[in-house]
Amino acid sequence: MMKPPMHVAKAKEVEAIGFPLTAESEQPFQAISKLGHLKEEMRSLMVMLETCTKCGKCAEQCHSYLGTQDYYNFPAARAELMRRVYKRYFTLQGKLFGRFAGAEDFDGETLTKWLTYFYQCNECRRCALFCPFGIDTAEVTIAARHILSELGIMPRFMQGVAANMAKTGNNMGLPKLAVIDNAEFMEDEMREELGIDIKIPIDKPDSDVLYIPSSADFFTNVDTMIGAAKLFYHLGLNWTISTTVLEAANFGLLFNLDVMKEHNRRLTDAAHTLGAKLVIQGECGHGWRAAKMYTQGANGPVPFQIRHILDFAAEHIDHLPLQKLPIRATLHDPCNYGRAGDLIEQPRKVLRAIVDEFVEMTPNREENFCCGGGSGLLMEEMKEIRMQLGKKKADQVMALGSLDYLVIPCSICKAQLPAVMDYYGVKDLKMGGLMDLVGKALVLK
Amino acid sequence: MLFFIGQVFPYIAVAVFLLGLVWRVRSWLKVPVPFQITLFPAPHSLTGRVTAVGKEMLLFSSLRRGDDGLWFWAWLMHITLAMIIAGHIVGIYYLTHQFTLIGLTEAASSQVSAFLGAVAGVGFFMALIVLLYRRMAIPEVKRLSDPADYFELCLLLTIVITGMHMRTVSEVNLPVIREYLGSLMMLRPVPIPQEWIFVSHFFLVNVLMLYFPFSKLIHMAGFIVNRAMLVEAAPSYPTGEEHSHGGISRDARVSKGGAQL
Amino acid sequence: MSFVQVKGNQIEIDEDGFLVNPEDWSEDMAAYFATMEDVTELTENHWKVINYLRDYFKKFGVAPMIRKLCKDTGFPLKEIYEMFPSGPAKGACKLAGLPKPTGCV
Repeated sequence: MMKPPMHVAKAKEVEAIGFPLTAESEQPFQAISKLGHLKEEMRSLMVMLETCTKCGKCAEQCHSYLGTQDYYNFPAARAELMRRVYKRYFTLQGKLFGRFAGAEDFDGETLTKWLTYFYQCNECRRCALFCPFGIDTAEVTIAARHILSELGIMPRFMQGVAANMAKTGNNMGLPKLAVIDNAEFMEDEMREELGIDIKIPIDKPDSDVLYIPSSADFFTNVDTMIGAAKLFYHLGLNWTISTTVLEAANFGLLFNLDVMKEHNRRLTDAAHTLGAKLVIQGECGHGWRAAKMYTQGANGPVPFQIRHILDFAAEHIDHLPLQKLPIRATLHDPCNYGRAGDLIEQPRKVLRAIVDEFVEMTPNREENFCCGGGSGLLMEEMKEIRMQLGKKKADQVMALGSLDYLVIPCSICKAQLPAVMDYYGVKDLKMGGLMDLVGKALVLK
Repeated sequence: MLFFIGQVFPYIAVAVFLLGLVWRVRSWLKVPVPFQITLFPAPHSLTGRVTAVGKEMLLFSSLRRGDDGLWFWAWLMHITLAMIIAGHIVGIYYLTHQFTLIGLTEAASSQVSAFLGAVAGVGFFMALIVLLYRRMAIPEVKRLSDPADYFELCLLLTIVITGMHMRTVSEVNLPVIREYLGSLMMLRPVPIPQEWIFVSHFFLVNVLMLYFPFSKLIHMAGFIVNRAMLVEAAPSYPTGEEHSHGGISRDARVSKGGAQL
Repeated sequence: MSFVQVKGNQIEIDEDGFLVNPEDWSEDMAAYFATMEDVTELTENHWKVINYLRDYFKKFGVAPMIRKLCKDTGFPLKEIYEMFPSGPAKGACKLAGLPKPTGCV
């Protein structure tokens, strides 16, 4: 019996976040039932499962398959894990022709395979770019993870993050007091550096702008938060952060669509409460995708603008007082900025303005490779697999020769790539966000 | 037996083909698109969207990314198939004299028709062989394939082989065939011409039509429905009050301004 | 979840090897974790970091910002990694009996 490569959340853990564990004997029946419902709610699922012509083009383009060399990580084969049972129970050809048409019964191993392989897909959508039909395996992955979670089956990592989010409004579980303390620390740092009093307003009512950073910016990626604070200070914005949603990320997008809606609702509620006209999302990849593409369907319509900090920075960059940093830097395109988020040229515009030498990696833009941590694959116990998933990225960076800085404008990528670079022996490379560099290049008086 | 193949089965096949296609596509369009899944970079206007999808449909542009031979053979297969279908329609109706419409003599027209038919037929045949070979030679594709995938390729091969046979080795009586096909369309079928090569070819084509809506051959329609979702305009905030969510997504109104901040 | 025997007590730890109940922490637990984390000797510097983390956690319910930890204890990040090879989050926090920091870290 196969064993999934991650720690699976226990019964009382999933129950605590509202997903009681379905009895094992009931799971296949419930899974099929939920698939039957989901296919009537999500057009992409039906069309993508029914349109694949098995051409195999996606194999050569998926970093997950190239890195792990595991057949089920090849996009079409991964989708087959669902397609085969979908055909068997929901299509005429599957019911009539069975194995001939590629249909298969749901058995004891199916759910274990789903858990194992749909959590080795980074939901990066690169396969959709190379498929003649645009079949997006990420849609199948999202569906599979949703069904699994509805049965109470999920990685412990996801459960932990969801529990923290529910309790504190951010993935790291920072209570309000800690947020205030951290903000004060960052204000002290800025005062020490610049001699200026730059504030990070917290829950300030009547703010024009609600800034939603990744909570990791309040733990490890401090420079990203400082960069944003400096920019807002210079522009004289009436802004605030909110302790009810100090999280750009939306892990619901990564394991359960109802949780996704719930997280998204925090965003819309906070903006409404504070009277903000503009919500600015911080450096978080899938969080940007969720905010930009899912808000409408999840909690729309909304009366405020939703923009990304890098798009906002790009708009103002030409008028900012800058001192270019004397470094040779390259840009990693997070999947959810490029293929899923329409944020391709803006980071480049910003980067070109603040560093001496900007060099593109190959491939780049919408064809860039995922970091390997996408869709929340940051589990410690999956380290070996994660390093395989990051291999293409390491190759890309190493091909650039001597480099001072790798720009990583997304929190998950920021957590994954230093480990990847270390693993593949890339030394002496500084890594961090783009707003970090903006903060360093800004000349403030 | 010949009565069934010649005067009953064709109607069943066409009916199932048309109704099946409609039913299948309708089953997709009934389902909402709850969240937009635009694949960027995406076109910004309706013309842009139609052009992008149209170009993809005619040139298979996505397959050219990453550069391998698949694009050439898949595209060749489809373009020759299109030529064959078009060629059947005008070639049979005009009894190979269609090019008299552009000033050629009847004899010259027949030669051009035969030439184009040969090119298309041979091209189609070669493409199918290469695709079949590829399916068996590339390990991932082989493991991924179902018996149906091989069946479809073989069915198409037998159709093109019998087709080419008719225009070369056996040289069938085209006017008789034209009369038969015409009678089918007028819903007053006459007995099928008893040339075994034509009967086989025609029967296999009807089998293909019957099988089509229940197989991956539906990818022709799936392509359009899927691409439409991938080029859909992203939501633009703030959004209008009358947006309906839960149903099929619409473009949100584009908002102006925003630069005041 | 599993249990480890430390000085006659059954202590529950999770799959990542972190303490499940913060109240179960003791200096003996820190010593036990040290053996799991390749920390050969618990020096005064180690205890300074551990106690800082515990104080902060008691006050704020969460681990401190890494930069703040470095600043307030006076140890640059490099030295923290030398003391706790798994780093401040996965190493030092474990020894201090804090829950494993989760999210994008």
